[in-house]
Amino acid sequence: MSGLQALGLVPLAPLLGFVVLLLGARHLPDRVVAVIASTAIGVAALCAFIAGRAFLAGDAATATLTLWSWLAVDGFAPAVRLHLDGLSLVMTGVITGVGFLIHVYATGYMRGEAGYARFFAVMNLFVFAMLLLVLADDLLLLYLGWEGVGLCSFLLIGFYHEEPANGYAARKAFVITRIGDTAMALGLFLLFRELGTLRIAPMLDAATLAWPEGSPMATLACLLLLGGAVGKSAQLPLQTWLPDAMAGPTPVSALIHAATMVTAGVYLIARTHPLYLLAPDAQFAVALVGLATLFIAAFSALVQTDLKRILAYSTMSQIGYMFLALGVGAWSAAIFHLMTHAFFKALLFLSAGSVILSLHHEQDVRRMGGLWRRLPIPFLCMLVGSAALAALPLTSGYFSKDLILLAAWEQGDAGPLLWGGALLAALVTAIYSTRMMWLVFFGPLRTEPHGQDGLDMSLPLGVLALASLGGGWFGFAVVADVLPDQGIGHGADHDALIAGVTAAVPILGVVGALWWYRSRAGVGVDSADAASAESAPARFLRGGWGFDALYATLLERPFVLAARANRRDLVDLPFALTAATARVLHRTLSATQTGSLRWYATSMAIGLLAAFALALGLR
Amino acid sequence: MLFLLILVMLAGGICALLAERVDARLPRWIALITIVIDAGLAATLGSTPLSPDALAALQGAPEPSAWLVVEQYAWVPRFGISLLLAVDGLGLLLLVLTLLLGAIAVLASWQEVTRRQGFFEANLLWTLGGVIGVFCALDLFAFFVFWEVMLVPMYFLIAIWGHEQRAYAAMKFFLFTQISGLLMLLAVVGLVWTHYAATGDWTFNYFALLGAAAGSPWAGWLMLGFLIAFLVKLPSVPFHSWLPDAHTQAPTAGSVLLAGILLKTGGYGLIRFVVPLFPDASVEFAFPAMLLGALSVVYGGVLAFAQDDFKRLVAYSSISHMGFVLLGVFAFNELALQGAIMQMVAHGLSTAALFMLAGALQHRLHTRDMSRMGGLWNQAPRMGVFALFFVVASLGMPGLGNFVGEFLVLLGAFQAQVALTVAAALGLVVAAVYALVLMQRAFYGPPGSAILGMADFDGRETGTMAAMVLGLLVLGVHPQPVFDLTAPMVRVLLATLGGTP
Repeated sequence: MSGLQALGLVPLAPLLGFVVLLLGARHLPDRVVAVIASTAIGVAALCAFIAGRAFLAGDAATATLTLWSWLAVDGFAPAVRLHLDGLSLVMTGVITGVGFLIHVYATGYMRGEAGYARFFAVMNLFVFAMLLLVLADDLLLLYLGWEGVGLCSFLLIGFYHEEPANGYAARKAFVITRIGDTAMALGLFLLFRELGTLRIAPMLDAATLAWPEGSPMATLACLLLLGGAVGKSAQLPLQTWLPDAMAGPTPVSALIHAATMVTAGVYLIARTHPLYLLAPDAQFAVALVGLATLFIAAFSALVQTDLKRILAYSTMSQIGYMFLALGVGAWSAAIFHLMTHAFFKALLFLSAGSVILSLHHEQDVRRMGGLWRRLPIPFLCMLVGSAALAALPLTSGYFSKDLILLAAWEQGDAGPLLWGGALLAALVTAIYSTRMMWLVFFGPLRTEPHGQDGLDMSLPLGVLALASLGGGWFGFAVVADVLPDQGIGHGADHDALIAGVTAAVPILGVVGALWWYRSRAGVGVDSADAASAESAPARFLRGGWGFDALYATLLERPFVLAARANRRDLVDLPFALTAATARVLHRTLSATQTGSLRWYATSMAIGLLAAFALALGLR
Repeated sequence: MLFLLILVMLAGGICALLAERVDARLPRWIALITIVIDAGLAATLGSTPLSPDALAALQGAPEPSAWLVVEQYAWVPRFGISLLLAVDGLGLLLLVLTLLLGAIAVLASWQEVTRRQGFFEANLLWTLGGVIGVFCALDLFAFFVFWEVMLVPMYFLIAIWGHEQRAYAAMKFFLFTQISGLLMLLAVVGLVWTHYAATGDWTFNYFALLGAAAGSPWAGWLMLGFLIAFLVKLPSVPFHSWLPDAHTQAPTAGSVLLAGILLKTGGYGLIRFVVPLFPDASVEFAFPAMLLGALSVVYGGVLAFAQDDFKRLVAYSSISHMGFVLLGVFAFNELALQGAIMQMVAHGLSTAALFMLAGALQHRLHTRDMSRMGGLWNQAPRMGVFALFFVVASLGMPGLGNFVGEFLVLLGAFQAQVALTVAAALGLVVAAVYALVLMQRAFYGPPGSAILGMADFDGRETGTMAAMVLGLLVLGVHPQPVFDLTAPMVRVLLATLGGTP
């Protein structure tokens, strides 16, 4: 078997894992389930490695593996075909690598939970769908993966299905992303109508031939695809589902709602970036969406009280940075940040999971504190993760975020604005990271932790911590040549002042926040934090800037009211009226059937008279 | 052979009726065996080339090679009425679907029916016989006869074995279809008369009548006669309101047949009769028809969301899904038309399965009210997994048959009419809303008051469900055989429109 043939096994292994777990759900003991689930992803990672080596050893820029022809109707002939190039290789590596670590961690985290097999079946299915998404050679197959990950996300957010709130969160995630997906589907229809194919490479070639730069068709197509991307990646205006998605088990949040699925939008735009080059307006819209989201979400993260919601908003914000990078044409910086973010955010979520588990599912940071001595491994891991999130120098997050900020600076007239906004949010990021660390690990112990992680949970944490620290050193070499960049020269000389400020701001944020918390250590940080958290602006920020309320008023409630009001179906009314009229006439006429001879004679006489009168009158 | 298929169904029905006197459990076996025999007969269809007689019967057909089986029996020669039966790829496909869902309907009602089992199974088989006739008949008179034949036993199924409001629902169903059938009869007579006035020949032969309406000032009205009959059957807004009542009140087997097959006769009629007989009028009417299609998609979906009754929700979702068929047929291109056909088949499977689920729940819980359900997942996980699968299929998840249908319809319709396609695409969002609400209210959440001690699916039910799962998966990942089967007739149809196929 040549190395590239192993590519077929990459999605196949998780799919097989899913099928086995689905069919054997009630017969397999938990330990077997754990082994099957992790092995499936491990095999996928191994095959991805083999295929990747074979691919890199060759000199072709892309490799494809056709599995079968999906359908062929009138020139529309999408195939089930896998496509490997630098971009999909990076994505596959992240998905299988981080996915494997999270699976191993989850085998420990979920131990003893009801629905153990169901959990891992859906996790495997998710990895399968995500791999199809990034390996697809055709936008239709990509769409299959795209919808598939959405379904798995729905199932896992609602994993604890007895609780109606979780079901609501799950449906909210699915329906809101479906709005984006529908826009994306319309984008596919448009692309097919104009370019005659949905196969990505030929479609992009055809677009560059058919459309001049700035063409309205290209802009429209890009905006529709952007609609799909903002839905999946929780960006403005479809971002509201992500914080609620934290209802799922924490490994789910790590895998789906931090490391992989939510970055699908970034991948989609990077994958179709030649289209965006044809549509500068749409590309600028991507930058603005990213800027607005990273800004809004960073401030929301600052005032959250739920540990997972802090991380959720920070995810939203970090993906905003990726969108900003895409918007300024720093394609490889976006993918670089996607990768480092996958490392450090998975790390943060998993170590948060360890904290939450040892506190008996306590998620409120105000009831944590002083845990650093008691939970040393989660503490160290979270410290590393937070440093990377805050982009402290030499961590992986520093390298990738720095690139993005500098690329934003160079973006023509709008550059300083983009840079300034993103830098302010970076300051806020450093502050909320510090706040999170402080409230969870320092100060007085407020809740007694129980138990320590087993090796199955600590080991993945350790690996991810190493990647979060060192990812920046090897990372850019991996992604540097994946996509041709517009505007940023690698290692180009930046204005030293700008570069210095960019690097210094996060440090400033951390130091400032530390100073603030230290200086209030005596008066009780929790009460100071709690008091400020109850102010009106804080509530506004914590609620995600009122978007939920806005959508509920504008869309959800009117829809529900209208549907309820019409539940008996107005259209049936004319038919029901016809039937009712017939019934009334029937009653009236049958009432004349009295059987009384006198009544018949009278009515006959009246009728005759009327007939005569009419006949005479008509003359 | 086609006639034999119908006769076997009718004879099987009589046997089932008589067998009840021997043993109450015998009729369902007879019904199942009858359908299996029919399926065996149907499996041989199209394997032999057409005989010279058959070719002669195809005189006037634009593309004789598109037809797989043709047979003709004299009936009333004086008026040019014969029993002309023929199937092409579309007919064969729907025939297979009919037999498959017929068997599933029998299995679905295996233990549900406790009264007059013989008459029940007889009505079921007679309905199937009528439907097979509808899918084969190419003499308009014979078509009309079969059209009526399939209604009467269906009426009995609802009126005798239905739920609380069965009399109302059955009467409503009967009146809607009768009145629209009358319009079709008038249109048939009008079309035949037009042909007679032009040529001096009385004939009800489909092929002879193909060009008859061309240039007639009445073509638009005649088309409307056919169109309304089929729109009622499909059903499309605003002629849909019989369906929620009929579906909800019918016994499980009746709902399976109604949703799975009878609705498809509406889509079939549009493709087989409305467009080819009245190509010009159809093209002129394309916009209003697509508008009704898009409207049905969204309106049906919104109504589905508001329901508390499990079966009623599924019934309204059918209206939504059939809207895609209407949209696809009148987009007049190969993508949309193939999508519409795929949608008919996939919807047949997914909705039949959902009705079977509803029936199984009603049988166990004695309620269809979702506000009394909830938490079924823990009580009956196997049921939950199947429900999830079909709910997800019905909201158009890629990889399953319904997605292929809906995507192709929208892809094709987008080329013809952008605004209405965008409107119909909103249906994808609405579908997610109502489908997931169904899942939530019945299967997730805290356990409802009615569910204690409920049994999960048994072997028979699991097997039936698994067959439909498999069907939707195959249609979803490898639909090409279906497209290959129907491609010749689709191209012929588009060629008659003069458009580029």
